[in-house]
Amino acid sequence: MTRQIPVTVIGGYLGAGKTTLLNRLLAEAQNVKLAVLVNDFGSVNIDAALISSRDGETINLANGCVCCSIGDNLGLALHDLAERPDGPDRILIEASGVADPAKISHYAESHPRLALDSIVVVADAETVRARADDKYVGDLVRLQLAAADAIVLSRTDIVDAETCRAVRTWIETEIPGARLAASHDLDHGQMFVTRTFESELPLDGAALRAALAALPADVVRAKGIVRLIEAPDRHSVLQFAGRRWSLEPDTAEVGPLERNRSVIVCIGLAGSIDLARLDACFAGVLPSALPAALIDELHQGALRS
Amino acid sequence: MPGPITVFSAKKIITMDASVEEATHVAVRDGIILEVGNLDDCGAWGPYTLDNRFADSILIPGLIESHAHLLDGLLWAKAHYVGPIDRYDPAGTLQKGLTNNAALVNRLREIESRMTDPTKPLVGWGVDPSLNDPIAPITRLELDQVSKTRPIFLLHASCHVASVNSATLDVANYAAIKAPGVLRDASGAPTGELREMAAMLVAVRAVAADMIGGSTDAAQFYNFARVAQARGATTIVDGGGSTYFDPAFLSAALAATAAEDFPARIVAHNNGITVPGADDMIRFAKALEGKGNDKLAFQGIKIILDGSNQGFTGRLRPPGYLGSGENGLWNRAPDELRTLVPALHNAGLQIVAHCNADQAAEMFIEAVALAQAAKPRFDHRHFIVHGQLLDESLLRRMVSLGIHATLFSNHLYYWGEFHRAHTFGAFRTAALNPAATALRLGVVVSAHSDTPVSPVDPLLTLWCAANRVSATGRVFGPRERVSAYDALKMMTFNAAYLLHRDHEIGSIRVGKRADFTILARDPLAVDSMAIRDIPVHGTIVGGRVFAAG
Repeated sequence: MTRQIPVTVIGGYLGAGKTTLLNRLLAEAQNVKLAVLVNDFGSVNIDAALISSRDGETINLANGCVCCSIGDNLGLALHDLAERPDGPDRILIEASGVADPAKISHYAESHPRLALDSIVVVADAETVRARADDKYVGDLVRLQLAAADAIVLSRTDIVDAETCRAVRTWIETEIPGARLAASHDLDHGQMFVTRTFESELPLDGAALRAALAALPADVVRAKGIVRLIEAPDRHSVLQFAGRRWSLEPDTAEVGPLERNRSVIVCIGLAGSIDLARLDACFAGVLPSALPAALIDELHQGALRS
Repeated sequence: MPGPITVFSAKKIITMDASVEEATHVAVRDGIILEVGNLDDCGAWGPYTLDNRFADSILIPGLIESHAHLLDGLLWAKAHYVGPIDRYDPAGTLQKGLTNNAALVNRLREIESRMTDPTKPLVGWGVDPSLNDPIAPITRLELDQVSKTRPIFLLHASCHVASVNSATLDVANYAAIKAPGVLRDASGAPTGELREMAAMLVAVRAVAADMIGGSTDAAQFYNFARVAQARGATTIVDGGGSTYFDPAFLSAALAATAAEDFPARIVAHNNGITVPGADDMIRFAKALEGKGNDKLAFQGIKIILDGSNQGFTGRLRPPGYLGSGENGLWNRAPDELRTLVPALHNAGLQIVAHCNADQAAEMFIEAVALAQAAKPRFDHRHFIVHGQLLDESLLRRMVSLGIHATLFSNHLYYWGEFHRAHTFGAFRTAALNPAATALRLGVVVSAHSDTPVSPVDPLLTLWCAANRVSATGRVFGPRERVSAYDALKMMTFNAAYLLHRDHEIGSIRVGKRADFTILARDPLAVDSMAIRDIPVHGTIVGGRVFAAG
């Protein structure tokens, strides 16, 4: 399977703090080549010391990241990135302030080399409630929030704790199932909690699918490379983002005696994820013993090849 | 040294001038009207050549298409028209509408059989299943009957949907495209219907890359003007998406329009659509001031506030779209408009604002009010394009702020029934495009086709404003019908006024440009329902005759 580039859409109304988030992600990226598509270079404020070169529609950063202008055609800019020989590890799209991020996310599935990762919507803790009641944009602001796999509250450092709590409660009431984070701890290590599940034994596909369907709402993202009992000759790739997930076999065959460890990484929002519940979800997936029949099958397969 | 004088005779000249209504002869010198009256009146200027070829025809001021898109010319240049609506092509030939899939397949087979290179994609435009009888989707099953090997790509009239055959699905690798706009059948195979650009993009890039904007093809300018000219327009507006600020595009446009036989004047709005910020918009617009030629001028800057009503993306005031109560999408954020509109206003530019539904219009009016409060300007002639749901309250606010409008009167004919059933319901459909109220209140209104959305045909647009009849024969909102005279004024003087060109064009008056439309019959004398069928004999642009056919 050709490696697909995960695409994250960053949405939110005008002035919500999308660019601040993007600036920060670009500056702090380490060991990952981010490509960021923005509407307007003028608003991106990349530290000059980080810029290695600049040509027309692209700013190249010393840390390997690039920032590209969308120009007047998001699709073309995105496909250009997808087809670069030294393509990025991950693409972030800054949706326009009036866009429905769900519609923008369709572009992440418009090219064989791209895959939608998630929709993150930024909301200004100070203004989002007033915006949501505005006669011109109220419905749009609510539409954007509802499209989010994760909502990042911005400017939580300039509103008082009480307002912050009230806004969180308001979002949880208005947008059922919303996943919330605050931007003052946007550093990945603080904003997200990672939980890894590993097994040396093949997993039961049906149990895994049931677990994925029941994951707590606080899990923003999960991915894994797993070996399933039902398809022991290959790895299966697990992707989970927001409310969507997939579990699909990889095209490459894997020898029966090759290392067949399964790894699943779950990422949740710090402070809200219930780790005990998450562990309980996966408890039924991790087998306690390798079934004898499967051992036989693997051996026979090994003999055949 | 003044040039020679030509006197054109006509059965009747309708001047649309406020003071002198009719004449039989018009004298022209150096492209300018020298005299209007009878032959003796014209003779007072000295020797002349009498041109009698229109002696049995009706001469009216050159008709003006006040909102259209150059894309129309590009489509004629790069793709085959195969839609359900009758359209005249750049050769002046009527392309009859194909109103069912069998007719479409037959026509595509004809086109395919004439193509010599077996690998060249067959690209078509204008299809619209919603106007077909019966309404049926256009899928790969139909298009594979035309060819299983040659890629076929049909862009729908909405420009938001495409239909493709299996060859296109294969060459563009749709097996690997998961975008939800790729419609699939029960087995999971793509049906060939691609909704929205995210779903269409790989197909466009693989087989119809010509359709992507920015083309400098000279034919697009000629076709754009020629299709309008063949239906009697002497001036057509290119409504704002083109990139004249790009030097390569500008020189292509100047070269094409400078040709002696270029058949119509183009007034192009500056681009406030794909240029993101106010500073660049103003800089580009200022740089283009006076950069045109006799047939190409730059006027106003176009901004877009919302989407389209038939696409359910116009911004409506409550209660929203019929049934669902949903609302459309902003093209620019209202908060941005509150600074953008004053910035353009302060820079002395004329703002041309696409507002399809009423909340978008309300927002624009509010933004202009902010601009006027901060820096009052007289005679700016900002105007709203489409303004389909304007009502008396909004129109009165427009009058007080000096905002005018060009209405999308063609909608009543083509989509009136659709709006009544699906978007607005009975009342709002009957109130669409309120030309009579606007004129009564003193708003200067014109009407337009928005081609390629509907065909450029000023007489048809005039007929729509006068009759408000749907394709099925229903009259919507008879109180908003205007007289034939007012409808003709909308398509001539009023359009010229909106373009800040009423001192040059829009009526037949001494000193103005010699731009005329020649009709077989008198549009003010025939039954108003017959106006659209009046044959156009040709046009005269700057004194030069252009035949219709």
